[in-house]
Amino acid sequence: LSAAKPPDAGTLAALSRPEQRFEAAIKVTGAAKYVADLSMPGMLRAAYLLSPYPHARIVSISTERARSLPGVHAVVTGDDVRGARFGRRLQDRPVLAWDRALFIGDRIAAVAAESEGTAAEAVAAIEVEYEELPPVLDPESALADTAPVLHPEAADYGFFDGDRPSVPHPNIQGHVLVTQGSDLEAAFAGAAHVVERTYRTPRQHAVPLETHACLVWVDADDRIHIATTNKTPFPLRRQLATAFNLPADRVVVDAGFIGGDFGGKGYSIDEFACVALALETKRPIRSVATYSAELGQINTRHAATMRVRTACDADGYLIAHDARVELDGGAYAGAKPLPHLTLAGATATLAGYVVPNVRIEVLSVYTNNVPGGHVRSPGEVQALFAGESSIDELARMRGEDPLSFRMRNAVRQGDHGAAGQRYREARAVQVLAAAADGIGWTRPKRQGAGVGIAMSARHVGAGKLPLRLELRPDGRIQVFTGLPEQGSGGWQVLRRSLAVSAGLDERRIDVVHLATDEIGFDPGVGGSRVTHIASRAAERLGADLREWLFERLPQAGPTWPNDVELRDDSVVDPTSGEVLSSFDTVVARLLRPEEVVKLSTTFEAEPHGPDEGGDYDFVACAVEVAVDADTGRITVVDAVVAVDVGTVINPVAHRGQLEGGFVFGLSEALMEELAATDGIVSPLSLADLKVPSVGDIPPLRIVHVPTFVGPGAFGAKMAGELTNAVVAPAISNAIADAMGIRVTELPLSAERVHRALRER
Amino acid sequence: VDRYQYVRPPSVDEAIEILQGHVDEAYVLAGGTALTLLIRQGLLQPGVLVDLIDLPGLRDVRDTGHGGLHIGPLLTLREIERAPLVIERQPGVASTLREVATVRVRNQATLGGNLAHADPAQDPPPALIALDASVEISGPEGRRSVALDEFFVDVFETILGPADIITGILIPSTPPETRFHYEKFLPRTVDDYATVSVAGRLDFDEDDVITGARVVLGAVGPVPIRATAVETMLAGANAAEIDVDAVAAEAAHAADPVDDARGSADYKREMTRVITARTLRRLLGTEVPN
Repeated sequence: LSAAKPPDAGTLAALSRPEQRFEAAIKVTGAAKYVADLSMPGMLRAAYLLSPYPHARIVSISTERARSLPGVHAVVTGDDVRGARFGRRLQDRPVLAWDRALFIGDRIAAVAAESEGTAAEAVAAIEVEYEELPPVLDPESALADTAPVLHPEAADYGFFDGDRPSVPHPNIQGHVLVTQGSDLEAAFAGAAHVVERTYRTPRQHAVPLETHACLVWVDADDRIHIATTNKTPFPLRRQLATAFNLPADRVVVDAGFIGGDFGGKGYSIDEFACVALALETKRPIRSVATYSAELGQINTRHAATMRVRTACDADGYLIAHDARVELDGGAYAGAKPLPHLTLAGATATLAGYVVPNVRIEVLSVYTNNVPGGHVRSPGEVQALFAGESSIDELARMRGEDPLSFRMRNAVRQGDHGAAGQRYREARAVQVLAAAADGIGWTRPKRQGAGVGIAMSARHVGAGKLPLRLELRPDGRIQVFTGLPEQGSGGWQVLRRSLAVSAGLDERRIDVVHLATDEIGFDPGVGGSRVTHIASRAAERLGADLREWLFERLPQAGPTWPNDVELRDDSVVDPTSGEVLSSFDTVVARLLRPEEVVKLSTTFEAEPHGPDEGGDYDFVACAVEVAVDADTGRITVVDAVVAVDVGTVINPVAHRGQLEGGFVFGLSEALMEELAATDGIVSPLSLADLKVPSVGDIPPLRIVHVPTFVGPGAFGAKMAGELTNAVVAPAISNAIADAMGIRVTELPLSAERVHRALRER
Repeated sequence: VDRYQYVRPPSVDEAIEILQGHVDEAYVLAGGTALTLLIRQGLLQPGVLVDLIDLPGLRDVRDTGHGGLHIGPLLTLREIERAPLVIERQPGVASTLREVATVRVRNQATLGGNLAHADPAQDPPPALIALDASVEISGPEGRRSVALDEFFVDVFETILGPADIITGILIPSTPPETRFHYEKFLPRTVDDYATVSVAGRLDFDEDDVITGARVVLGAVGPVPIRATAVETMLAGANAAEIDVDAVAAEAAHAADPVDDARGSADYKREMTRVITARTLRRLLGTEVPN
């Protein structure tokens, strides 16, 4: 772990400069290529036949008519890929269903044709006889004794890196149980106040501009190449190789620019059927998901039902918390990467509070709905809405200001959170105070207006990252990485961390993306790990570059003092401050005309010791809302987000993450809902599933609670999955403050609020 | 979806002729903001796309000579909302158009296309009906004029025949003491379609007695709905004596909404009442500050 001391003034000055990303120009001019822009000679288009039923046996498939259409090159069905299943951890999803369809949208067949129109025609010409089976459409019915077992062959499924943990019911995908204290029920029995509620959060979507896409081809050496929008190329390579029983080096995955992620680009579906089509046709296959496929079939946020009991004693201390978080996992668990096959954040109901007696149970359950996947802050969005609503209500039940109640119960240094989280630095009180202060917590409010607050702590992601560097005689530096750039600025983290660490100008550094056959494994983008691992790997490479240079200084400047420094792109005499030479001049002197200096490193985050606090960001969001009592419409009139994010490496992108996260959270709080009725997801277009536009965004202030304690270079932590999950509970709590009603289901739509007001 | 014939007739007559020759497979393209989406979604499969872009004389706002306006159907919504004659004579039309989608869309979408599309959640139809607008239609039988109130038949369906083209939108002059207001209820985002919209127009005499009333509901039925019972309650009444809540409750009865992503039918009916009341209070100058 990096030392908890502030970076020096020069470093802070370099980090505070608003960055300009090197890829900005090519993105703005359209020169940057995204997967849907790619094209190859002879390329075919893919289309898929989808199950129209949530649960059905496939009796027979007839593809003759489809195959006979002019322009159709291949029709692949489940029979052609029988036994091939994939997943990020549990491999439970068939490449194409061969015996049973498990949700509306399950892929039954794939077509490769010369145009999208022909491919669609061919799909329509495939004849399938189904036998409808009784569907299970919610977790409760899936867990009934009489429920059909959706995956009777689960014991044969592959599972990466270990054995699948046992589950208490065959329709349970994964199960987590966290307990604290010795007697939960006794604590509830002796409590002064208990709040018990059931909260619900809906299926939602990451809503990136770019839909999932891939281009798959087989080269002359029989290697399968996949250009993809997947942000985890190395894990995808492994999934593909496993599904098709190929050696990993026969699969080459390349992901460069990704047009937006927001959590949904870590899992792929179409790549698998496209590999089958490419192997069959020996032609390049391109597949670009429509937006309705995105919304209805790919990586929706898990809908959740959360039964929560929370209790405090007569002095207002939390004493007991019991949460059962039930996630609708849908037809397959393959989108979930963690061994427990639930969501990492789903235990975070009361992440930043001390509770002595706790039981938090998380279940993800198989149903015949669209499979649940990851969306920004997976699990937290669900759990925090429940937990932060629960303690807010408890405070109000006591007749206490919810802020002072939170302050009393928030974790201090050395405390651990309700789910057992240990914090290297506990900053709960600081972010709560800063957010409350920013919103004017105690200021008198107008009629129909109220303030609300919510707080959380989120772990900074970890992982490993190999990097290579090449320095040329003209002083240009290229950094090679397998890490995709999905828009949030990971490559600029590499560039700036390397530059600052080496004492160079970042404009001399380009980032070059490599496919999986050209550099070693990294886990990809996700879990808010990139700033941590990319900055540390690049910092190390910067130090290696300095070392390389200093070892050669006697050749470069024989008369220079031996304690010269590299700073501001120059070799400087530290005593006099005199610039002895530019970096360019030194490099030109040291390198022969064609010589290239190559350095490489791999950073891997060390695991924390059992008694060591983990690295967390703390966050609090405070909002003021106005409630239109006649319509139920909520207007957020003011918002403050206080964050504890460590050192900021790229101020522009960083601010974008924090502010964008708030807007993302606003959308999830007030607008987004993908309902599934009888397994049919709707709405399936962005004309009906609305997300905020600029006119919907309230005045927003980000307040930093500074710290240099972070695992990243210079004391950096993370920003990507911090601010969105606290928005909905803050707004809901503000509605409670304004109108005395508790809305227990997201989104907090006008109609839902209106109903709650009528029922008051 | 792959291929269709694309034609750009140089005159209205030739456009009509082409349409007559391709009944059932020809679609008329004006701004294209709605049509291209429907084609892309596979909801329409045109054999021939008849682009009106070259038709002359359909892009201006003219004074009809009696205080009324004749609006060319190929003008974009943005052009109309910025036209000085519209702003001067019918500021309510300009302000209603500013509620449609975004500037980007309004720079492309035309008024003729908007009406012919007959999307029940659109903003211009209820507003123009409240202003007693009519549509000038050119077709194989010649030219005719139809009150906009009688133009819409069902969702995406109008009285336009397969070879008919809208060649003008007429807004008559309004009495000197007329007030107009269009209220669009947007409970989610600012650039959504209305959950409920209400266009209201009241004409007054010098004693503040209502001499004419129009209340038109948008987005709560297959077509814009004239709340005629409400209009009857308002007409002849003295502005000071109107029981707005009772009148607005009547409007809710006229609504015929469906459940969709913008709300349940029950909620929309209730919001019809609320938004009608707000519209009337605005027209009567008795609104409660929110």
